[in-house]
Amino acid sequence: MPAALDDFLWTYQSLIASLGVNGLLALSMYVVLAIGQLSLGQAAFMGVGAYASALLSLHTGLPFPLELAAAMLIPAAFALAIGAPTLRLSGVYLALATIGLGELLRIFLIQSDFTGGALGLSGIPAKAGFTLIYGCLAAATLALMLITRSRIGRAMEAIREDETAAAVSGVDLPRYKMTALVVSAMLAGLAGALNAHASSFIGPNDYGFDAAVTILSYALLGGVGSPFGSLAGALVLTLLPEILRPLQDFRLVVNGAIIVVAVLYMPHGLIPWRPLRIGARP
Amino acid sequence: MNLFRPILRTLFAAAFVTSAGFSHAADPLTIGAIEILSGPNAKYGVAIKQGFDLGVEEINAAGGVRGAPLAIAYEDSAGSKEQAINAARQLIGRAKVPLLLGPTLSTEMFAVGPIANQRQTPIIGTSTTAIGVTDIGPFVFRTSLPEADVIPGTLRAARDKLGVKKVAVLYGRDDAFTKSAYDVMKTALADLGFEVLTTETFGAKDTDFSAQLTKIASLHPDAIVISALADAGAGILLAKQALGLPQNVRAIGGNGMNSPKVLEIAGPAADGLLVGSPWFVGKSDPLNVKFIEAYRAKYGSDPDQFAAQAYDTIKIAARALNEARDLSGDAIRDALLKTKFEGVMGAFAFTPDRSPAVVSGVLVLEVAGGKFAILK
Amino acid sequence: MLLQQIINGIVAGSAYALFALGFTLTFGVLKIVNLTYGFYFSAGAYLALFATLHGAPITLALPFAAIAAGFIAVFLDSALLSRLRRQQAPELASLMVTLGATLFLYTGMTALIGSEIQRFPLGLIESAPFRFNGASISLTQIAIVMTAGLLAAGLIGVLRATRTGLAMRAMAENPQAGELMGIDTGAIMRRVSFLCGAIAGASGVLIGLEHNAITPYMGETMALKGFAVIILGGLGDVGGALIAGLLIGLLEALTAGYISSIYKDAVGFLLLVLTLWARPFGLFGRASVRRA
Repeated sequence: MPAALDDFLWTYQSLIASLGVNGLLALSMYVVLAIGQLSLGQAAFMGVGAYASALLSLHTGLPFPLELAAAMLIPAAFALAIGAPTLRLSGVYLALATIGLGELLRIFLIQSDFTGGALGLSGIPAKAGFTLIYGCLAAATLALMLITRSRIGRAMEAIREDETAAAVSGVDLPRYKMTALVVSAMLAGLAGALNAHASSFIGPNDYGFDAAVTILSYALLGGVGSPFGSLAGALVLTLLPEILRPLQDFRLVVNGAIIVVAVLYMPHGLIPWRPLRIGARP
Repeated sequence: MNLFRPILRTLFAAAFVTSAGFSHAADPLTIGAIEILSGPNAKYGVAIKQGFDLGVEEINAAGGVRGAPLAIAYEDSAGSKEQAINAARQLIGRAKVPLLLGPTLSTEMFAVGPIANQRQTPIIGTSTTAIGVTDIGPFVFRTSLPEADVIPGTLRAARDKLGVKKVAVLYGRDDAFTKSAYDVMKTALADLGFEVLTTETFGAKDTDFSAQLTKIASLHPDAIVISALADAGAGILLAKQALGLPQNVRAIGGNGMNSPKVLEIAGPAADGLLVGSPWFVGKSDPLNVKFIEAYRAKYGSDPDQFAAQAYDTIKIAARALNEARDLSGDAIRDALLKTKFEGVMGAFAFTPDRSPAVVSGVLVLEVAGGKFAILK
Repeated sequence: MLLQQIINGIVAGSAYALFALGFTLTFGVLKIVNLTYGFYFSAGAYLALFATLHGAPITLALPFAAIAAGFIAVFLDSALLSRLRRQQAPELASLMVTLGATLFLYTGMTALIGSEIQRFPLGLIESAPFRFNGASISLTQIAIVMTAGLLAAGLIGVLRATRTGLAMRAMAENPQAGELMGIDTGAIMRRVSFLCGAIAGASGVLIGLEHNAITPYMGETMALKGFAVIILGGLGDVGGALIAGLLIGLLEALTAGYISSIYKDAVGFLLLVLTLWARPFGLFGRASVRRA
C-alpha cells in the first residue's frame, strides 16, 4: 500500500470504523421508526452488546462469531422485556421506558466491579476490522432493503401512516411492533460489539441519553422513508463534527442548528423518497 | 465573576489558533495539543490552554525552539474519547506533529495513549493523574503528580497535625477521575490506620448531597474525605454547612477540589478544607510570582494548578525539543527523559517510567478566610 | 436522622415536582414531549443570576426570570413547532426539532457564557437554616415546598374552574373539535407555553438557589429525572406529578440514608420501568389533563 494511502487510512481509521458502526445504529433506529415507534434505548442496547461481547473476549476464548451472536441475543432479551408492557401503549411510553432502561444500565455498569465501574473496560482485542464492520453493514442494509420492498414493508408503512387502519385491514400490530423492536435491539447490540472491538475501550457513560439522542438524530435527519435515508443521516452527522472541527466551541451549536433546519424545512428527512416496491405501480 | 467575560474568550478566537498553527509564513515548529475546549468540562481544558499559550509566548519571545517559533495546533476533544482519538490521529497522521500534549482527562489518555504510542509519538499529559496512565506505553509521559503521590501526604498531615482518626468517605462514582482518586484514598486510609465509618457516593451531575451528608452527620466523623471535581466539591461543602455539620469536622479533598473555583462557589463554607497540591497560587518563589503576574496581565484572573502544570509542561517540552538530536519520536523521548527543569511547580525531572520524579513538592493546603494557605 | 432524611426527601421531591408540573402540562395540552423544557429551567436560573448581579433583589429577579423564560418558551414554540403543526408533520418531527433545538441551545449557551458553575451572590436570601429537633430546613427549601404545592393546586384550579382551563382540556381531548367549537387554539397554545416556560424558569431559580449551582446543563439533568416523575404521575396529570415527585424524592433520600447512596439515582428509573409494567397510565391511572 502506498505510504500516503496508508497514512490516510491510519489517520481516519477510527472515523471510518465509526461511520460503519453509526450506520448500523442508524439502521437499528430506522427499523423502529419505520413502524411509527420511537425508542431512546438504542444506546442502551448498544451498550449491552458492547459489554457482553467485551466481557466474553476478555474472560473466555469463545470464537468471535459466537460473541457477536451473544451481543445480539442479550439486547434482544432486553427488548422483549421492555417491549411487552409498552408497545400496547402510545409511542411516548416506549420512548420514556427506554430512557429508563438506559439510565438503569448506566447505574448498574457504574456500581459493578465486574464491568470495571466508572473506569470501564480497556484492552479489548481489536477483532473488528473494516471488512467485518462494512460486511455487517452491507448485509443489514441489503436485508432491510428487501424487507422494505416486500409485503412486510408495505404493512410496516401502513402501521406508520395509520395504526388503526392497519389493524382493521388485518395487520398483526403487536407482532410487527415487537419484531421491529427486537431486530433493532439486535442491530444495535451488533454495532456495540463491533465498536468495542474496534476502539478497544468502552465506558459506562458512552451509552447514556446523549448517545441515544445522537442515534435518533441520524435516522430522523435522513428520514425514515428508506434504510438509505437513515444511512445518509449517520454519514452526515458523523462527518459533520469532523468537518466543522475548526469552529471549536460552536461545533455542536451548528450541529443542533442543522438538525432543526433540516427537520423544519425537510420534515420527512434528507432522503424522503420511498423505495420502489416489487409489484407496486409506478 | 463577570457573567459575560468568557464571550470575548470564545468568540472565534479559538478557531483561528488552529489555522495559525499551520501557517507557513514563519515556518513554526508545530506540536499538537488535545484538550477539552467545549462542553461541561471545558474549564479544565481552557485553563490548560491558557497555561500553554502563555508559555509559548514567552518561549517565542526568547527565540523559539530550534531556531523557529513554537506553535501549538489545538484540537478539541469536548471530553469525548472518540473525538480525542480522531484528534490524535489527525495530529499524528496528517499534521505529523512530533509531540502531543494532553489530553485533559485520564479516561481520554487511556483511549489516545495507545495510538500515540503505536506511532511512537511522545505524548505528555499535564492533568492525567489516574493510576496506570504511564503504563500505557514507553511514549506516554505525564507531568502531573499522580493522585497516589498526593493523597497519602494529605491524609498523613490530617492525622498527625489535626488528630483525625474516624472519617467518612464521599466520592463521585460515575467519573473515572473521581473514582480512581477514591481507589487511592481507600488504600491510603487503610495503610494509615484510619477508621472508615461509611463510604457514600454521588453522581457527577448531582447538585443535591443532603441525603448522603445527613447519613454522614449521624455517624459523627472527625473528617469527611471527598473525591470530587470542583463543582460537586463546592456543592458538598455548602450542603455540609447548611445541614449544620460542626465546623471542626474537616473536609479533606483530592486533586479535583484543589481549585479556586471551590472557594468562589462555596465561600465561607470552604473554610477548613484540606487539599494536597503540587502547586499553590501563594507560593512566593520568584518564578511563581513572575508566572502569576504574567498570567494575570494576560487573562485577568488567577491561574489554577491546571494552568500552572500546563505552563511548566510547555517549557519542559520546549527544552526537550531543543535538546533532542532530531525530531524523531525516539530522540524526543530520550531528551524528555534527560530534561531537568526548574519551574513554578519546583524542581522537575521524569522517572524512568515517565512520571514526575520529585514528590517533595507536595503541599498540604488549608482554606482559611476564603484563601488557600499552607497547613501549619 | 430519619426526620432530616424525610425533610431532605420532601425538599428534593418538591423540586422534582415543581419542574415536572410544566413538563406534564405541556404534554397534556400540546401532546408533545418538548425537550426544550429543560432549557427554560437553565435559562430561568441564568436570567435571575444576571438580574441579581445587577443589583436586583431576589423578589424581583424571580418574577423577572419566570416571565422572561415564559416569553422564551412562547417564542421557541412558535419558531419551532407551529410550522410543523400547520403542516401536520409526523409527531416524531416535533420531537426531533426540540431535540436539535435543545442541543443548539445548551451548547450555544455554553459557548457564550462558559460551562463553569456559577452561583447566586452570597447573602441574596437568608441562608441560616431553621433548626429543630436536630434537623434543619432553610428558607429556600421552604419556598420550594410551598411553591410546588401552591402551583399544583393553582394549576388544577385553573384547569377545572376557568374558561381557559376548559379550553385547555378541550384541546387535550381533541384539538380539531376544540377549534370547531370556537376555541382560539393558537392563543391557548401560547398561554400554555408561557405558563410552562414560567414554571420551568421559576423552578430553575429556586433550585439554583437551593443547590448553589447554576450550569448550562442543569436543565438536562433535571429533564431526565422529570421523565420518571411525569410517567409515574401519569402523563399530563398535574396532581399525579406532584405526588410522584414527592414519592421519588422521599424514596431517594431514604435509599441513600438506609440502603446505599449507590442506588439513589436508580430509584426514579426503577419506578419508571415498574410503573410501565404494572400501571402504564401512572399511579393514579388517569391519562391526561382532560381528567385533571
